[in-house]
Amino acid sequence: MSTLGSKIQQVLNEPGCATNQAKPSFDRKKGCNRLLAPGAAAGGCAFDGAKIALQPITDVVHLIHGPINCEGHSWDGRGAKSSGSNLYRTSFTTAMTEQDIIFGGEKHLYKAIKEAVRKYNPPAVFVYQTCVPAMIGDDLEAVCKAAAKKLGKPVIPVNAPGFVGSKNLGNKLAGEALLDYVIGTEEPADVTPYDINIIGEYNLSGELWQVKPLLDELGIRILACISGDAKYHEIARSHRARAAMMVCSKAMINVARKMEERYGIPYFEGSFYGIGDMSDSLRRIAQLLVERGAPAELLGRTEAVIAREEARAWERIAPFKMRRAGKRALLFTGGVKSWSVVAAMQEAGLTVIGTSVKKSTLDDKERIKEIMKDDAHMFDDLKPREMYKMLKEARADIMLSGGRTQFVALKAKMPWLDINQERHHAYAGYEGMVALVSEIDKSLSSPIWEQIRKPAPWESSIAQNEFAIHVA
Amino acid sequence: MTQNADKVIDHFELFRSSEYTEMLANKKCMFEDPVPTKEFERVKEWTESDDYREKNFAREHLVINPAKACQPLGALFVALGFEGTLPFIHGSQGCAAYFRSHFSRHFKEPTAAVCSSMTEDAAVLGGLSNMIDGLANSYTLYKPKMIAVSTTCMAEVIGDDINAFIKGAKEKGSVPMELDVPFAHTPSFVGSHITGYDNALKGIIEHFWNGKAGTAPKLERKANGKLNFIGGFDGYTVGNMHEIKRLFDLMGVEYTILSDASDVWDTPSDGEFRMYDGGTTLADAANAIHANATISMQEFCTEKTLDVIEAAGQETVAFNHPIGVEATDRFLMEVARLTGKTIPDSIRKERGRLVDAIADSSAHIHGKKFALFGDPDLTLGLAGFLLELGAEPVHILSTNGGQAWQEKVEALLAASPFGKNCHVYSGKDLWHMRSLLFTERVDFLIGSTYGKFLERDTKTPLIRLGFPIFDRHHHHRSPVWGYQGGLNVLVKILDRIFDHMDQTTNEVGKTDYSFDIIR
Repeated sequence: MSTLGSKIQQVLNEPGCATNQAKPSFDRKKGCNRLLAPGAAAGGCAFDGAKIALQPITDVVHLIHGPINCEGHSWDGRGAKSSGSNLYRTSFTTAMTEQDIIFGGEKHLYKAIKEAVRKYNPPAVFVYQTCVPAMIGDDLEAVCKAAAKKLGKPVIPVNAPGFVGSKNLGNKLAGEALLDYVIGTEEPADVTPYDINIIGEYNLSGELWQVKPLLDELGIRILACISGDAKYHEIARSHRARAAMMVCSKAMINVARKMEERYGIPYFEGSFYGIGDMSDSLRRIAQLLVERGAPAELLGRTEAVIAREEARAWERIAPFKMRRAGKRALLFTGGVKSWSVVAAMQEAGLTVIGTSVKKSTLDDKERIKEIMKDDAHMFDDLKPREMYKMLKEARADIMLSGGRTQFVALKAKMPWLDINQERHHAYAGYEGMVALVSEIDKSLSSPIWEQIRKPAPWESSIAQNEFAIHVA
Repeated sequence: MTQNADKVIDHFELFRSSEYTEMLANKKCMFEDPVPTKEFERVKEWTESDDYREKNFAREHLVINPAKACQPLGALFVALGFEGTLPFIHGSQGCAAYFRSHFSRHFKEPTAAVCSSMTEDAAVLGGLSNMIDGLANSYTLYKPKMIAVSTTCMAEVIGDDINAFIKGAKEKGSVPMELDVPFAHTPSFVGSHITGYDNALKGIIEHFWNGKAGTAPKLERKANGKLNFIGGFDGYTVGNMHEIKRLFDLMGVEYTILSDASDVWDTPSDGEFRMYDGGTTLADAANAIHANATISMQEFCTEKTLDVIEAAGQETVAFNHPIGVEATDRFLMEVARLTGKTIPDSIRKERGRLVDAIADSSAHIHGKKFALFGDPDLTLGLAGFLLELGAEPVHILSTNGGQAWQEKVEALLAASPFGKNCHVYSGKDLWHMRSLLFTERVDFLIGSTYGKFLERDTKTPLIRLGFPIFDRHHHHRSPVWGYQGGLNVLVKILDRIFDHMDQTTNEVGKTDYSFDIIR
């Protein structure tokens, strides 16, 4: 455990993380690994975080070493889309039993890796540690090393057992696994001055594909997306990119920073959500590439695409804006950057009356303050009960949040739109913004919200009178 | 050898074998003088055009794929809902066999009915003797408590006087004088099965309330605070009646269901054949005159019946196959008003659950376009529910819907922003619907089993809601009324939406990037 322990210390003390750097040195070591209060409803574990971060790699076997629950509940649970292999959606696990726990699960794991390689011949196997084998002392790294040697395939240990901490920590540990075992292990056949990495984009609902056509048009090549719609070899060769974009602010910051450190790939933090942010991101990508030696004419072409796409998006949003002006929205986002969504909402003519900042950095919070001109409506960690209360009182017109808060919203009679990982609409890029506004429009105009806010018509005499009028 | 005696292949597989496909292709090419494929395709495509639609809608004389049945079917439905009652069809036996198989294919239960088996002789000489013999035989063979007579076209064309015939038969001693033999004239060439339902129920009510065809004194109404309930012609009657009884019991309502076929079409497999089971007792049918009010769930099934009931001094309230939150609210509040009972908390909770379920899933239905066909009341009920879900009906068609129905649907649509792009088609058939589906595309089609041809031709996914449902089993067991019923309809619609999503994303390596576990 000593290596895992030091690894955790290392990622927790991430110099690239603004939140962390803003803390006093003692707190800094504790990092973002906040201890969960026993008895309070909790979020996911480190294993879940690691799996979320890596599972979008499409052509490898993701083998979960543990009892059935860990894989059983996370099998294909996120809508990360693939343009090629579907192997990543097949569920592989050792499904440990009592015997494994008594005698150790290493042999079982080795045989499982061997079988997976024989049957599927993937470019690599990712093996995930979970709580039980970690506790009984199964040496994941050793088994993977032995298997890699014998089978002649990369076998990547992802050492993030659930108990070590939060989902966010798991994201980072997954990033470490890529840095230690994958990135830089192969060389690309060709490189161009237009090669970039996109880090922390998972291609949920195919969002990457809303952005990629514009990059294609500009001649910018995504050498690797880590990890949405990624192939193993792409990530292995990603160290030859000229620049990188960090999409999700905190999930894989360590990957971006260490790639800069090791391979000199400059990165910036950006977002594909919202028209302004999308334009900024394209601009920054072009700038970084030009700084690294791409022809300067790229800047001009980029501006032309931005101008054209912005105009097209505004034109398509305009009809909604008329209809939705003044509607009030509450935001409870998870990994999606709150400030960029706030800006996007305002573009759609909505008034944002509150937003969660649970996963936002200090910098993010500053930006939100700037955009919202009022910091009174930022919420940190809201418990369902408090959220319910707030929703009941807030009288917002719509709440945008993830699947888990959906049900709280509905019980509080609040119109709701899913903008987290289980959503089925892609909201990235210019195209996504139009889709988001159209979804909000649709959700706001659903007749069920009127119904959900009314008591049963026989319950109050006022309602009854209204009802009588309605019937008449 | 294409067929082998050791392993005989059935039709699913046989004609797909190359021997047959080649042979049939050769036969077509050599002996059938086929139109060239190009010409065939041209005409096929033309039937999908606006031009064809215009010609299709100009069609005056030919009815193609009508979505309605005939009066005696409705009469049979009513008769089967009374205790120990044998439906007696005065007319051709072919008709009777059709009705029985029609119901049995839908309910997957035997449907008892007898027929006077009129032949050419009867057509020439009148069906009196068939009636006399028929009543005598059926009474002796099947020992019914009541025989409910309805007619087919044949008897109506020659103008048989059923009232007189029954009297005559009784005088001849074919059945006891005191046996209840209500009747209704139910020619196929007038109206549809819902008209037959109305006529038959009216016939039975008049029989009991108005002195049993002159053999007993007319009943004097003494209001007793009870409520009568009429379901109308309803393919979901098994599930719906159970649900309505449960709701009434929860509210403590004293009620009489007039015609309740939910038991006879839901008999258990326990070794006993029940030709009759359950149903409204004859005493209840008579005493129903004393109720305070009568509720009909289907206005267009009970127009004349409600007139008779109103004339007897009761208040009547008619709904249009209420489905969903608001429609059920209205129904229950009327029940509460008419009986003075309150709606208990348990029902309020059921309501909240339906609202919750709709909210959970509304994003998937909201904004989807639907075409809808079926009986007048059901299409109204379903249209109301669709609007409540934020779905957009685009075509609503009822072959047996008339002008009054059309106006009612149009008023319903006008009251909702989701109804503004919808057109209503009364008296049109499913071939009209075919043109509509080709020229103005929708996301889903709602209707009976007969919609499956439209689904095949136009590739519009069909949601089976209506009557008859022949190619899916047991749908009739789940209610569509009450909040629970609304939930069932919601699930049925959602299931099809998700099935469709799966079916269009399941091609390995092509579309399965969206073949998701979580929907």
